[in-house]
Amino acid sequence: MNSTLGTAGVVLGLAAASLGVATLAYALWQRRPNLMPIGRTYAFCTLAGAVVAVFAMERALITRDFSVDYVGKVGSRNTPALFNVAAMWSSLEGSILLWVLILSIFTSLVAWRFRDRMTDPLVAWALLTMLGICVFFFALLAFPANPFEHVSRAPGFNPPGPNPLLQNHILMAIHPPILYTGYVGFSVPFAFAVAALATGRLGEGWLLETRRWTLIAWGCLTVGIVLGGWWAYEVLGWGGYWGWDPVENASLLPWLTGTAYLHSVMVQERRGMLRVWNLSLLCATFSLTILGTFLTRSGVLTSVHAFSDSNIGPWLLSFFGLIVLLTLGLIGWRGDRLRAPGRIDSPVSREGAFLANNVLFAAFAFVVLLGTVYPLIYEALKGDQLTIGAPYFQRMTLPIGLALLFLMAIAPVLPWRKGSGELLSQRLFWPAWVGTGTLVVAVALGARGLAPLVAFGLGGFAAGAALRQVVLASRRQGWRGLVGRTNGGMIVHLGVVLIAVAFAASSSYDTEREISMAKGDSTSVAGHTIEFRGLRTVEKKNKTSKQALVALDGKVYTPSLDRFPGGSQAIGTPSVRTSPKEDVYLSLVSLPGGSSDKTVVRVIVQPMIMWLWIGGGIMAAGTALAAFPGRRRRDPLQPASAPVPSREAPVEPEPDLDDRVEVGV
Amino acid sequence: MSAATPARPVPSARRLGWLAMAGVLVVALLIGVTQGRGSTSPRDRAQHLSEQIMCPVCDGESVADSASSASVGIRKYINNRIADGASDDQIRDELAEQYGERIILTPGRSGLASLVWTLPVAVLIAAVAGLAFAFRRWRGQVEARASDADRELVESARHGTGA
Amino acid sequence: MSDETPTPEDETVDAPPRRRTILLVTVVVAVIVAGFVGVLATRAPSTDKSATSALIGKTAPQVAGKTLDGGTFNADHQLGRWVVVNFFATWCRPCVVEHPQLDAFQKEHAAAGDAVLVSVLYDDDPDSAKQFFEDHGGDWPVVMDDGSIATEYGVTGVPETYLVAPGGRVLKRLTGGVTKEGLENLMAQYEEAVGG
Repeated sequence: MNSTLGTAGVVLGLAAASLGVATLAYALWQRRPNLMPIGRTYAFCTLAGAVVAVFAMERALITRDFSVDYVGKVGSRNTPALFNVAAMWSSLEGSILLWVLILSIFTSLVAWRFRDRMTDPLVAWALLTMLGICVFFFALLAFPANPFEHVSRAPGFNPPGPNPLLQNHILMAIHPPILYTGYVGFSVPFAFAVAALATGRLGEGWLLETRRWTLIAWGCLTVGIVLGGWWAYEVLGWGGYWGWDPVENASLLPWLTGTAYLHSVMVQERRGMLRVWNLSLLCATFSLTILGTFLTRSGVLTSVHAFSDSNIGPWLLSFFGLIVLLTLGLIGWRGDRLRAPGRIDSPVSREGAFLANNVLFAAFAFVVLLGTVYPLIYEALKGDQLTIGAPYFQRMTLPIGLALLFLMAIAPVLPWRKGSGELLSQRLFWPAWVGTGTLVVAVALGARGLAPLVAFGLGGFAAGAALRQVVLASRRQGWRGLVGRTNGGMIVHLGVVLIAVAFAASSSYDTEREISMAKGDSTSVAGHTIEFRGLRTVEKKNKTSKQALVALDGKVYTPSLDRFPGGSQAIGTPSVRTSPKEDVYLSLVSLPGGSSDKTVVRVIVQPMIMWLWIGGGIMAAGTALAAFPGRRRRDPLQPASAPVPSREAPVEPEPDLDDRVEVGV
Repeated sequence: MSAATPARPVPSARRLGWLAMAGVLVVALLIGVTQGRGSTSPRDRAQHLSEQIMCPVCDGESVADSASSASVGIRKYINNRIADGASDDQIRDELAEQYGERIILTPGRSGLASLVWTLPVAVLIAAVAGLAFAFRRWRGQVEARASDADRELVESARHGTGA
Repeated sequence: MSDETPTPEDETVDAPPRRRTILLVTVVVAVIVAGFVGVLATRAPSTDKSATSALIGKTAPQVAGKTLDGGTFNADHQLGRWVVVNFFATWCRPCVVEHPQLDAFQKEHAAAGDAVLVSVLYDDDPDSAKQFFEDHGGDWPVVMDDGSIATEYGVTGVPETYLVAPGGRVLKRLTGGVTKEGLENLMAQYEEAVGG
């Protein structure tokens, strides 16, 4: 029953999306605007299909209906309820189901939000693109990655359940949906970019229309990535939160191009420039999302995060190739329309800073992409294996990261069009002292080493500049000084600085020891006393937990090794003591047995880990604030000091605090 | 039309402030960089090195993380060599000779593998050069002047169908 | 686009060079991406990787010794059947990942009687291995090795699997984990080539 229902949902979604694409394509080709609103209906039907399919899958999981193929792989009688529901996205086919649901929701939202303008070819093209993407993902569910196949099982069949690593932590329920919302969300501005290229209407306000969508997608992607790092930290047992693993890199790539886009789009709004570049960034972001999906699900790269490989690889790769070629074709075709009327007056200006920002982010993305796929290219050319691990990424991205910090400090104070050293010296004075102060404090606290110290100094500098901006804005506008794109953006910058500083501190000043201990042994690591008090076994509903009782500075923690019935190897569950200053991370490596009667415990002391997550939270808050509607000016020709009307008006870019009104030629 | 604040003469107070800041920075950095913290203790060095060597018998794990006896052997070797006074690079080269290049988690310095180091730098230089070229071209462009027809257009937009 | 009455002062940027640049760039990028996609499309998955070995085509070295459950095993007694010699260790993640595949393979072919699976414990202790099989299931001989079998086979890491054809010659050396389907494909290929 569930199988049939689920398959029906998938078929409904696929049919609706395909019909929608066909109808809209016909309407656009034949120039029949009255047909276009039908696309809206198809979008809603697609959503209905997705909802039905997800409902069927969750129902099957909750009722432990093992006759559904996928439930037989990831379901289990012993898994607790929350993880059982989250098990839907614990493996390949179900994750596509989640993706399809979010994609359908976004498609319907676009159809609803622009319902009054469905007869506009640009909107029709955008909806067509989104429905086209729906067609692809529904097709994945219908053909190579079908989770709803009906399988007859022997009575008493009790599968092992999802990968034990995915039953350990509540973030399993939260991280994938948020991350996927980020990925999928970027398909909306992408769809509008394609629409703009296809219709040739490249100078219009669709950028502003989709601004909030892009911001929210970016925010979700940011939060998703940070949560991913947090989850890895809490669960994987090696005390790290970012390993430059192929799957992690795959999620970072669209984030990097998306961030570049968020900045350079402001240059397009203000000066009408960089249109080709912005369109390319949007297309690149979406393409990288598909490429990342391919890399993590096709099995060409080994990774601790990777899903099992399957025949889905060729589909994803073909789709990636198709998207890239289509967008390149569109850009090449419309090249003449993209001639920018303006120019950038001086590199020392906000525009120049954003250009530099884009160059750096593009370089960053290039390094990450190259490092991730180079082993494959090398093997293709030479037939030999090559390993590119964390040290490569760390070494290459460090200078880029430092340069970005520096840019974050000077860009907010640079005026548009032309700045001067004079101006910089005046506005950056106090931020620079904040940076110096941070450096001095760090040195005083004992921090050593050029790279981390430079990071601290630049971080303080950037934080000072951001704070200056927020303080000035609040003084002038009250609470409104905290909302809107510029101010929200400054708060996001604060979050980034926090993460950068915490990253530098925790990677440069960590201490790691592996200690073999017998009961009663005690030792000292980085100023903490570790005492081993013995072992005990705890039976839980879905696992047997062998815990080590480790007293850290007197308080007992219980890192453990958990065994799941019929599952995989014993999974280490670390125990962490968090504090603002540092995290002490305990993980049980091995139990006495075999040749040794000692228990091996790994102790990792890393400073400032908590600030990573706090920084992520601040970034999320800043994004929400930036999405908040800013002050609206009715008439773009009126000066900024004109009274603000109370009616709704088209959104205009935020006035800069330092600039006088520009009356352009 | 540039709208920057007209330049005021720099108060000598502020200039002194910048100089003082530079001084403080230099001193702090000197202390921070030269006065070693012992963070390069032998154990930390060994840990750091073993994170850069791949476990020879198991996929993708570093020698620091792996429990295999081959990894344990390599870790012992690293410890011994550090005690002997060998440098990080020496130890890496020795291990690479014994087990092959693939054991080092960072790709090599020569041949096709080194492209992964040089390519990003080349691309960055090309991008910066491109931008510099673009700036020069923009500077060379004559500023657009409004013609009478343009002015009429603007006037009609403001007072005609505007708002 | 907007009307432009060319005046002597106006120096507009020519359209053709701009368009040419964009076309050129898109073509270059398209070529690079096409090459990239080609590389990705031809990558072998991370399992069933075939590797060179001096033993291929030669008689397989003896796999004999005490098994985990106290018995003895000798591969020589398996003439006329396929023998899959799998070197594994419990501390190695890819071995854990391939285990269900081996389990499925063994169940099917033990019933059919045409192939025998034997695992050789590599650099690991018997107790861990026993616990491993208890946890994960699996009912085939696991030979304890003091290192000599591994050395004779030239094993450089785990997991490694040697596919020995009926008649005792080594057909393939597979590194990095195997799948049931991969093994069966190889067996079918060989039988087709030989059977005619």
